[in-house]
Amino acid sequence: MKSVLFIVIVLISGALAGTIHGVVNFAIVEPYLDQAIGIENQNLFASGEEEDNPQFWAEYESYRIWQKSGQVLAGIVLGIAMGSLFGIVYVLSRNSLPGKNDVSKSLILAGIMWIVIYLIPFLKYPANPPTVGDGETVVLRAILYISFILISGFGAFIFYKLSKKFQNNKKYLGLFGYVIFIVITFFVMPENPDQITAPMNLVNEFRLMSILGVSSFWGSIGIILGVFWKKFGNTNIPSS
Amino acid sequence: MSKVQQLNVSKTSVSKIAILALAIVFAIGLFVVGFDQGHIFSLVYGEQAFIDLTIHELTHDMRHAAGFPCH
Repeated sequence: MKSVLFIVIVLISGALAGTIHGVVNFAIVEPYLDQAIGIENQNLFASGEEEDNPQFWAEYESYRIWQKSGQVLAGIVLGIAMGSLFGIVYVLSRNSLPGKNDVSKSLILAGIMWIVIYLIPFLKYPANPPTVGDGETVVLRAILYISFILISGFGAFIFYKLSKKFQNNKKYLGLFGYVIFIVITFFVMPENPDQITAPMNLVNEFRLMSILGVSSFWGSIGIILGVFWKKFGNTNIPSS
Repeated sequence: MSKVQQLNVSKTSVSKIAILALAIVFAIGLFVVGFDQGHIFSLVYGEQAFIDLTIHELTHDMRHAAGFPCH
């Protein structure tokens, strides 16, 4: 495949999957964000940090519209970014992936990446709605989250490389090794330092919707890139 | 009589420049949506960008929804 074509289909796949992610979030996550921000506002009034007056609500409405309007746009940008990573991993691992065709290979890789760089880090550092999280600890939390993603991602890569050195059934030792490694990492990594003061049913429902939203991205990117690759990625060479 | 076969040969080798270009897109895109706290606009607007937090607010809802620490 030509490099330009490769870049184009990766970017388009990412943008489309990101759009789906943004639209899904808009439909199922936004109500929980509004609810959480409502609690946040009530806390601001209760603490005296803000006054419940028309001026506050005018300001609130203006930036809240800006925040909401960015949901799909940010989904597209994030989709292009994560789609680029997905495209890189796909082109480098395609020949090793199981699956009969590019759609199944791409979907399998999307599933693996969903588990390794999303679900596992999420289990340790789950998404939180507004009103949860201390601004003073945001840098620490970002470092912890990214670190876990990197550890999980590179861990999976290293154990995959190790598994290729084994024969037949012993190949599963690589997977077993990764599971042991990630369980140890899970308990060694520091906890999120912030306490949750919001109602837990709101937090848990928000997290479930968050998972569904992100999963819609990984499912979409797997299908879309696979379909594009199936259409444009192969070259038919006649031989006798 | 020779038998003509149609073989599907997969060419997955793309240039390193293409991979580098996508790696740059990944890094910038991830930073914009996940972590910018005024840094990008500060290149133009200086310290005011850290107060306005334009990109942070625009990506606010996606940050929460996608699991990034936001504030």
